[in-house]
Amino acid sequence: MTIDNTALNNFIRGIKANIPIGLSVFAYGAVLGMICSQKGVEIYQLTLMNVFIFAGTSQFIIVDMWEDLSQIFPIVLAALLINLRYFLIGASLNSLFKNSTIKEKIIYMHLVADENWAVTIERNKHEIITPLFLFGGGVCLFSIWSFGTYTGYLFTGFISDPSLYALDFAFIAIFTALCFNLYQNKTNLIPWTFAAVVAYICEYLFGGNLYIVLGAISGSLVGVLLEKKKYVQQ
Amino acid sequence: MYNNEINALIIIFLVALGTYGLRLSGLLLSSKIANEGKIRIFLDYLPPTLLLSFVTPAILKEGISGIIAMFLIALCMYKTKNIFASMIIGVVTIAISRNF
Repeated sequence: MTIDNTALNNFIRGIKANIPIGLSVFAYGAVLGMICSQKGVEIYQLTLMNVFIFAGTSQFIIVDMWEDLSQIFPIVLAALLINLRYFLIGASLNSLFKNSTIKEKIIYMHLVADENWAVTIERNKHEIITPLFLFGGGVCLFSIWSFGTYTGYLFTGFISDPSLYALDFAFIAIFTALCFNLYQNKTNLIPWTFAAVVAYICEYLFGGNLYIVLGAISGSLVGVLLEKKKYVQQ
Repeated sequence: MYNNEINALIIIFLVALGTYGLRLSGLLLSSKIANEGKIRIFLDYLPPTLLLSFVTPAILKEGISGIIAMFLIALCMYKTKNIFASMIIGVVTIAISRNF
């Protein structure tokens, strides 16, 4: 089987491959849009986040902490820590970009999200694709994501009391789902539990937002200790 | 109010810069980080532990229905791998418990 591997072909295949996952991206974006409108986020601020941050989970975190914008450092830290995975996502794309120039890397990496990255990594296993496949997926997701956020933002007025419909719980539910999707094996259980317990205790004791960071760092350190021990035993 | 708008712009700018920096530096430094065992394990654990740290207090605040919602989300993810469906199940569970 020969595959036409021109730039345009890769770009279009990337767009098409991300349309199914785009449905949940739309819903996720709509939830963010609704929360933005409730929290008094202006539409230009939402647009700036969509264009320049383009990372759904961290946008949720920023908007969640919108009541107290004077806490610049905790908000930025929490958002960037949740985005630390992009460092590894970038690292995992090494082989896809092996023939690319630095200019191409600089342009294509901005629109890398969890979804088009996952689709690309999976497709790269059985087809020859170029970074334009990834970029096409990014353009697709960016369009759907933006459309979703504006739809949620504009239609939120139709829902009088969102907490009755538990819409504030929607992103907690998505985070929980994403988290379970990351489960690998039993070794994960102790570090995960440790993170959850530390986060709960810190939130109870100190309030604020730093419990996210404290829970994650302590849980991950436990993970390093356990996996290292396991590695030594083998 | 003006202060809040400026703070919002600063936050968006810093998060945008940092996020893009993470995306690009991950790609550019990938050959180095791949050899660093401990750092790699630590970074691998950050996404799930961050997500858990974020959701645990919120789930426990809902009480028993929060825990039920969590189990249903886990079950739905396990069976369908569908994030959207899992979200709906979680939200519906909490909505029911808040209304009755």
